[in-house]
Amino acid sequence: MKKITFVTIFVLILITSLVKNSTKEIEDKIFVLNENIRPLKSELGDMLLEYSYLSSPDQLTQYQYQFFEKDLIKIDIIKIKKLTEKNNHIKASDFIEKSNDE
Amino acid sequence: MNDKKNNVILEEYENEFSYKKSKTNLNIEFNRIAFIFFVFLVISIIYSIQLFHLGSLKLENEIKSLITKKNYRADIVDRNGNYLVKTVSSIDIGINPIEVIDKKKLLINLQLIFPNKDYTDISKKLEKNKYFYLEKKITADNYEKIMLLGDKSIKSEEKLTRIYPQKNLFSHIIGQIDDDNQGISGLEKSFNEKLKQIKEPLQLTVDTDIQFLIRKELVKFQSVFRSKGSTAILMNVNNGEIISMVSYPDFDLNKRETVSDLNFINRATKGVYELGSVFKTFTVAAGLDEGLIETDTEFLNLEKRLKCEKNVINEYNKKIPSDLTVEQILIRSSNIGSVRIGQKLEIDKLKSFLEKIGVLNRIDFDIEEVGEPIPFRWGKCKLATVSFGHGITTTPLQLAKGYAIITNGGFEIKPSLIKRNLEDNKNQKRIIKEGVSQKINLILRKIVTTKEGTAGFANIEGYEVGGKTGTAQKTTIGGYSKAKVNTFASIFPTSEPKYVMVVLLDEPKTSEDYIYKYKNKVGSYKGTPFNTAGWTSVEVAGKILERIGPILATKYIEN
Repeated sequence: MKKITFVTIFVLILITSLVKNSTKEIEDKIFVLNENIRPLKSELGDMLLEYSYLSSPDQLTQYQYQFFEKDLIKIDIIKIKKLTEKNNHIKASDFIEKSNDE
Repeated sequence: MNDKKNNVILEEYENEFSYKKSKTNLNIEFNRIAFIFFVFLVISIIYSIQLFHLGSLKLENEIKSLITKKNYRADIVDRNGNYLVKTVSSIDIGINPIEVIDKKKLLINLQLIFPNKDYTDISKKLEKNKYFYLEKKITADNYEKIMLLGDKSIKSEEKLTRIYPQKNLFSHIIGQIDDDNQGISGLEKSFNEKLKQIKEPLQLTVDTDIQFLIRKELVKFQSVFRSKGSTAILMNVNNGEIISMVSYPDFDLNKRETVSDLNFINRATKGVYELGSVFKTFTVAAGLDEGLIETDTEFLNLEKRLKCEKNVINEYNKKIPSDLTVEQILIRSSNIGSVRIGQKLEIDKLKSFLEKIGVLNRIDFDIEEVGEPIPFRWGKCKLATVSFGHGITTTPLQLAKGYAIITNGGFEIKPSLIKRNLEDNKNQKRIIKEGVSQKINLILRKIVTTKEGTAGFANIEGYEVGGKTGTAQKTTIGGYSKAKVNTFASIFPTSEPKYVMVVLLDEPKTSEDYIYKYKNKVGSYKGTPFNTAGWTSVEVAGKILERIGPILATKYIEN
């Protein structure tokens, strides 16, 4: 009985150290990955900032004036159609249903 | 004689020593091994704890190092994730001439990296032996090149700066920070500590595209009606999320200027105005909520003129009939009719209704720049004037809140600029009786669609707009000035309201050249005949709606 207890404890310690060892390896890998992700995150943030600025409505309007001769037009909601696909057929219907008081 | 004394007697003693097992219960062998194992176990536990501790420290330190960086503040994004504010790190390169070993060699190397710099000037600076900045906000490539020189005199300084890619667009909402990284206005002030602690960006409820379109219209009509300033608020009536809040004039946050001109205040939240007839809707809603009136309740023989102490109350339009139903009182914006409804309600009921919908007291909002409605003493005459929106003040934000509550089915909402979980908006408390909203919404719709209504220019096809106009003279010390505040509080679609929009023009003037296009009949009209909300703020609201309507209808279709 005592021998079994010793062996069990020994085996447990052995397994723990093996598991710990592999955990450490994984931790190292995670650490390296995190370190690699950090500059990428920073770069992504800068890119998104650039995108936010370049695609801001103010900037887009400026590009429109700069590069296009025609003005932007308003979309009339009455002319917007809703497309629904059913049995491989696309059906177009009015986006806004006219109410009685219109 | 001595023989006896010297006799040595040798006796063989029986050896009584024999090896025996210890009679005690202690097993020395077992305990020694157990002890060694125990020591190993303790050491391994301590080692494991230490490992876990170190593991967790690494992550904490990583976050801490980011957050404790000087001038760190979290980014702010709109509801679609577009950056409104971003903290970016930049590196400045400086040179400490005292540490330069070979000046000529350094200058040659610098010329290779920065060929366009004035090196006679740099050479002079090197002679002065005083620290100077060679390049501010250096690019990543040049930073790598200059660091590879390995010169000890080259110093790099990392700095954090706040960038506002949308410039003026959210100036009043976001606010400013001072040189010590402390928020001094807007969300930068009210969320000062939070912005310094959180890692993830703070998400707002506002939509950049809609904010831009609304601001564009306000700027355009600023030149048409030459108003002192203007404001517009677009809010979701069901959860209080503010989609857009513009106050004009505004300022570019990137310039970091000190704004001391009072005309730059946030009119949407800080401006406290007497808003006039837009309050009549609240009087009618209060009457319906109390069950004292119905929309078809008739008020007969209404006077054209009332006098209460010093106050004279007139109908703004003498063509308004003497017999009116409640619905007609609101559609035709009858002052005397509203007074009669107010008198029927009495002070306590009207006061408690206005308190309930949040227009009487200071609002609890996400930014600190909030105006406080001017307190007053209720009396018979005050009841009469308050009934048609005079002698009572509030902010445009509170007006929007009030309209949201009376049109959304009577549920309490809290206007908010911060995007919260959907869970936060559940379990809303009903504060107005069921059915009141439907009646109010129908009347508001008729104000826009009927000939007698005052808001025909907002009848944009496809959106079912409803609303109430308010034209009020601005108060001065001891009376009223000729300057006006023209307001239009609208909701859409009236069949199931989703949005409330308030447009306020501060001191507008009539325009001689502006061409109005009728919405309820064919034709157009040149010039502004009357300086009323119906001819100014309603037109602005209509134009705004034409622009933002398709986005609201398609982008937020599932919301």
